[in-house]
Amino acid sequence: MAISKGKELRPGLWETVNERYPGSMITKTDFVPLVKLSKPLGEARLAFISTAGIQPKGTLPFDTVHPVGDYTFRRVPSDSKPAELEIHQLKYPTFGANRDLNVIFPIERLQELTNERVIGSLTKNFYSFIGYNMDPERLERTLAEDIADAVEAENADLALLAPA
Amino acid sequence: MSLAYLKDAIKEGDSEKLIRYVRLHFGDGNEERGAKEINKAWIEALKPMLEIPATDREFILQTLAEKDTATLAHLFFHLHFYFVGRSGEWIHDGNL
Repeated sequence: MAISKGKELRPGLWETVNERYPGSMITKTDFVPLVKLSKPLGEARLAFISTAGIQPKGTLPFDTVHPVGDYTFRRVPSDSKPAELEIHQLKYPTFGANRDLNVIFPIERLQELTNERVIGSLTKNFYSFIGYNMDPERLERTLAEDIADAVEAENADLALLAPA
Repeated sequence: MSLAYLKDAIKEGDSEKLIRYVRLHFGDGNEERGAKEINKAWIEALKPMLEIPATDREFILQTLAEKDTATLAHLFFHLHFYFVGRSGEWIHDGNL
């Protein structure tokens, strides 16, 4: 999908990425339209998917050292407390998120919105992976498909996607 | 750099593309910084060896003999970050 130059939040970003990491960008020629929400938000079940590298403490850390990336994801129970979670991710500043996880993974805000009935409910799990992946085809073929299947199995009505 | 780009570089014997990628990885997109990080890791690996301490060579030789090359390569990347971490100078935005 073409983005008009006037709306780019970080002009030149893609050129920079392509110069540093030639061929790493996913090029899409087809366009999948967004599906309209079939019910009011207050009745809908929401899944949250993040590239922030968030995971429950004690689970196998994301492979942040691998030269071509980690193509696995972690389930993060949506009723988790921030203290039960940790970040394994090299490629974005985690200082703020380590003080308050919600700045990158707003789990408590989503829990609050659900308690206030702004959102109907949350899927049992949220999903997280790391964004440093140099094989876009594998990313799409395995990680994206696996997360999509997992979200569908949890009967989500909508998914909130948040890049880190 | 995509995987295809790197595999093509191997086929073509283009070492410069490959080492540039490694430097970019270790330098979080900054090639010059990545080169310094590689040096830093080797310096940190050298330091504990100078007193010629006893080391577990049996473990090392057994590991080299028994583990597959991909696992050893993965370990090599882990060791880079381990020694960089020991230097006390952490340039990365996040954590392992």
